[in-house]
Amino acid sequence: MSGFLALLKRELRSITREKTIMFAIIVQFFIASFSSIILVGIMAFYDPSSIGDSTHVHIRAGIVAGSENVEPLLNYLDEGNVRLNIYPDMTAAEESFKRGRIDTIMVVPESRNGIVDMQLIMPELDTKKTVIFMVLDEPLKRYENYLRESQGVDLNYNSTGGKPSTTYEFLYSLIVPILMLFPALIAGSIVIDTISEEFENKTFDTLAAAPVSLGQVIASKMSAAVITAAVQVVMWVGLLRLNNIVIENAGLVILLGVVIAAAISVITAVMALCFKDRERTQFVYSIVLVALIGGSYFLNPSPFGLITRLSAGDPSMGIFQVALYAIPLVVIGLLFMKVSRRLVLSRR
Amino acid sequence: MSRREITRLRTRFSGKSRIIVLAVLALTIVCSYVIYHQDLVISKGLYNVGVSAGAPFIADSRFNIAELECETGYELLERGTIDLYLDGNDIVSSHTERSEYAAGALQQYLEKQELLRVADEYEIDRAFPLRIEVSYIDTEDEDPESAAPAPDTAEIPETAATADKDPVSTPPVEAPDYPAAAPERNIAAASPVALPEPLPAVPAATDDAVRRQLAEFAKNNQLPEFKAEFVSENDIIIPSLMNPPIPLAQVIITFLYVVPVFFISLFFTSSFTEEKVSRKLIVLLSAPVTRLQVIMGKMLPYLAYSIIVIIGVTIVLKGNILLGLAIFIPVMLFIFSIYLMVALTYRTFKDQTFFSVLALSVVTVYLVGPAMFTGVNDLSYISPLTLAVTMYRGETFTVSQYFLATTPLLLVFGQTMFVGTRVFNEEYLMGFRPLHSKIAEAIYLTLDRAHLNLSVLFMGMSLVPLVFMVELASIVFVTNLPVPFMLGFMLIVSVVVEELAKSAGVVILLQNKALPRKRDVLKLAALSALGFMLAEKLLLLMAMSVVSDSMFIQALSGGGWFILPLALHVVSTSVVCLFTARFGTRFYLIAIALGSMIHAIYNVSVMGMLL
Repeated sequence: MSGFLALLKRELRSITREKTIMFAIIVQFFIASFSSIILVGIMAFYDPSSIGDSTHVHIRAGIVAGSENVEPLLNYLDEGNVRLNIYPDMTAAEESFKRGRIDTIMVVPESRNGIVDMQLIMPELDTKKTVIFMVLDEPLKRYENYLRESQGVDLNYNSTGGKPSTTYEFLYSLIVPILMLFPALIAGSIVIDTISEEFENKTFDTLAAAPVSLGQVIASKMSAAVITAAVQVVMWVGLLRLNNIVIENAGLVILLGVVIAAAISVITAVMALCFKDRERTQFVYSIVLVALIGGSYFLNPSPFGLITRLSAGDPSMGIFQVALYAIPLVVIGLLFMKVSRRLVLSRR
Repeated sequence: MSRREITRLRTRFSGKSRIIVLAVLALTIVCSYVIYHQDLVISKGLYNVGVSAGAPFIADSRFNIAELECETGYELLERGTIDLYLDGNDIVSSHTERSEYAAGALQQYLEKQELLRVADEYEIDRAFPLRIEVSYIDTEDEDPESAAPAPDTAEIPETAATADKDPVSTPPVEAPDYPAAAPERNIAAASPVALPEPLPAVPAATDDAVRRQLAEFAKNNQLPEFKAEFVSENDIIIPSLMNPPIPLAQVIITFLYVVPVFFISLFFTSSFTEEKVSRKLIVLLSAPVTRLQVIMGKMLPYLAYSIIVIIGVTIVLKGNILLGLAIFIPVMLFIFSIYLMVALTYRTFKDQTFFSVLALSVVTVYLVGPAMFTGVNDLSYISPLTLAVTMYRGETFTVSQYFLATTPLLLVFGQTMFVGTRVFNEEYLMGFRPLHSKIAEAIYLTLDRAHLNLSVLFMGMSLVPLVFMVELASIVFVTNLPVPFMLGFMLIVSVVVEELAKSAGVVILLQNKALPRKRDVLKLAALSALGFMLAEKLLLLMAMSVVSDSMFIQALSGGGWFILPLALHVVSTSVVCLFTARFGTRFYLIAIALGSMIHAIYNVSVMGMLL
């Protein structure tokens, strides 16, 4: 046991000394930040009100109306923070538009068989265009509903209230699982690198002569990788908490992250021992990873889904589902300990 | 050289390992294929919903549905076992955060179902009575300032005046009735007027547009189906069917092209590092080939594989092969140059793995980040991916846009090849030192001692694309900070990075005791600053040819074009270099802090003048 601990300490030291872990954390931080940028981007498109309200975007629209029906639209626009100017004809509106006094022109003609063929004149400039679409979206939808109703078509909107769920879903179904599983993927890479390094530097033979079993050597490498992963998972839970993102069932989520890291470590250790060189092992690992992620999609709940549901506080998920993942791990772990020595000593 | 490399790769994957690789690969492909055709749903089973007997049917795998009696439903809702109870047509939430989100999600789903029902039950012109035809006119506001604060009050007389001036103008509207008052009155004053030009009668066209968009709307569930041939923006808008453009497609395109190239370049690094460690590379050096030939020879097969992949992906996505190659070859070269640097610098595999992952994410951000704003902002053309998106939309881009996107990448490649050949010697390859001293050594080896002035000038120039990329990547980090700190932090990062880049060459010469005289230090510092500024302005000039109206560009070009920035760069770099010369390289970081402070004060005052 003391031999194992000494080995473990050596592995951990090498991981911290080589700043590997620092790279790993920077990478994850980068990915998380970038995802949140994409999220903000998506939010801007999906739910402009969330951004429009906070920044108070005002646009000025010129209206050229040819119909009695336009009154409600004007009200909706007014409520939607659009400043209105009414023009008697196109020439006047275009004149103002070209001078930059209004941002857009809306031409609302008489309805024809109940259809209103509105014309919207927008500036060519791209940035402005997007903002205008964002602000006009809601009023236009309301006007469309008004026109529908006047045609005798009713939409049953069941209830009001509820918050737009895009952010919530994106956060718990993508960002949180990625952050919790990425350390596991890194653990796999660490295991491959440390094992194949021993092969390529031909140091396994030296280790074979040391008073520790080869099983212990490999187990120490795997444990070091898993401990690294555990530290990262705990760190992410804390960091997310600081960002006001609460991970429910934090203990179970961390446990699951560690279990998966351990499982991947076992798998990668087998691969590294089989191929005995880094190039092939890393390549096969990357493909196997894609296959595993794909394959796990068919499990119910998948590791990804389980993390999502645990961290979002789904009461129907708990220790039982996590245990389902832990048991097979223990089994393959034990089997692996039995065969590892043979794999090391087998020739290429 | 290349032939040898191919043989090596082939022997690696022979016999059993080839079978294993192929088997795993096949399994992966089958898996992805099945998932792709199963409608990938993220957030599967996220919400628990109880439904009463007469409630609408919910076919969305985000919701776990349980049919519950009214009483039990409310009770479970109270206890938090379910997140929502759908009582007939009413969504009942329990006012916890989670329940509110669930309610939002369910409502969005039900709204969509309602739209589909209406589309199904009524004829198309009753279901979708509002169609909006969008057209674009160029505004000629010379001064962006004038557009901003135009007050309403000034507006009204203007309108009235134009109406009066135009004798042809139809019924004199109640123009005099427009009082310069609140906008509500304006609304009240709205009245039907005859339109000057009859609208084009296009019922068939808009009906078609509705049908097309409706089909699109009904199809996509959560993730929009990926198509490489993007539909460009709709010219006819149906408000309720308006689909938000999701930047997902950009991300997918990047991955389709970039990930295989990354894989291939991973082999290149592996092979390179392995031969480095086993000293085979050193043996090669004694052969009658140049260093460039060794590096290129080893790289060439992998470059060829990558080109094949690029062609393949372009064919699968039905793109233009020549354009695809023109766009992605610079990207490929850029990726390879990163990996070449990694292979030259690092000795352990672990470091390599992590550096590679870091590089992959930085490159992805560099490519995807700006491309998300394709069609929103012209500045997105700093990423070659924007060109690809434009290509797949069937639109065109200009030559200057192409060069803006690809030149920095090609420059980085050329630079790396140059540095690579300079450092390609036994001592550097086999040395085991921390990263910063490795970099310092590489810079020292790169500088040509016989033409010191010229080398320093060029080094200042060639670091600009790199600095630019680092600054871009730092934006990603900055978004984690609260808004007030963002600008300040960006300022600090960019200033420090620039000072580091400008002074690095001189300081490394100092470190190697190659500059005994203070006069030389000053001269080289000035040259490095000059080179840096020239390249910076050149890049800016290129950007200007693509982007004409951007705050960003204004901020960059603000404060004069030549003399002032040059003076600043020379002063700050000289301060850093002279300080280091006086107190020694141990105090380099303090010197950087000093120089950065000067630089920052300048930047802030320029910004102040602009605002």
